[in-house]
Amino acid sequence: MEITEQKKGPVVLLTLKGRLDASTAGRLEEKLLALIDGGEKQFVCNFLQLDYISSAGLRVLLMAAKRLKNVNGKVVLSSLKDHIREVFEIAGFAAIFPIFDVEEDAVKSLL
Amino acid sequence: MADALAVMLRNRLSELERLSRVVASFGESHHLPEKVLYAVTLALDEIVTNIISYGYDDQADHQISLRLSLQAGELTAEVEDDGKPFNPLEAPEPDLKASIEERQVGGLGIHLIRNMMDRVEYRRFQGKNLLVMKKKVSL
Repeated sequence: MEITEQKKGPVVLLTLKGRLDASTAGRLEEKLLALIDGGEKQFVCNFLQLDYISSAGLRVLLMAAKRLKNVNGKVVLSSLKDHIREVFEIAGFAAIFPIFDVEEDAVKSLL
Repeated sequence: MADALAVMLRNRLSELERLSRVVASFGESHHLPEKVLYAVTLALDEIVTNIISYGYDDQADHQISLRLSLQAGELTAEVEDDGKPFNPLEAPEPDLKASIEERQVGGLGIHLIRNMMDRVEYRRFQGKNLLVMKKKVSL
């Protein structure tokens, strides 16, 4: 999995590419924790190029959402492929995370 | 290509990528719908991740046996391991309605398996765990 990081005003944009499973989720966890510890509060994760997610990936996102809730921060998602969206629905995560069709709307929602 | 495939995985999380490639190539050979492949890959990934992460008390190498077969429009995925006895069907269901604060991080993988597959059966025999998962394939 590749993670690309960009800053758009107060928003951190993370673009994920490839597979987010138990062997790669640790990298996203480290990245998110480092950014949150560094004071970042608003996150967009763009899943356009993400092909796969397992519960290990969901767990990292939930952990980040819990941490951010304490500091009035937020993580929102954009551009989920159908299969990934279905995983979010089944896991009940579609009710926890705001999900947008396109990145631009996800970023706007945090401004 | 035969309608069955057997693969041995090592107890390393890096094997998950190989697992997904094995399922993808089986699916390609048999023209299985992408939706079915994603579901089976995810179910296998979740149980194998559980086995690798929690199944062994030692640091030794273990083999996890994976079998895929297609019969009468049904895909069967079997996983056999020599780890600690673990019946995933007895695992408690997560509370999907809980708020972010109350939402627990555990139990999601098993929940996904139950929902992605049509039928799941567990057996413990000869010191091994066997999980048999079935999914109807509508071509």
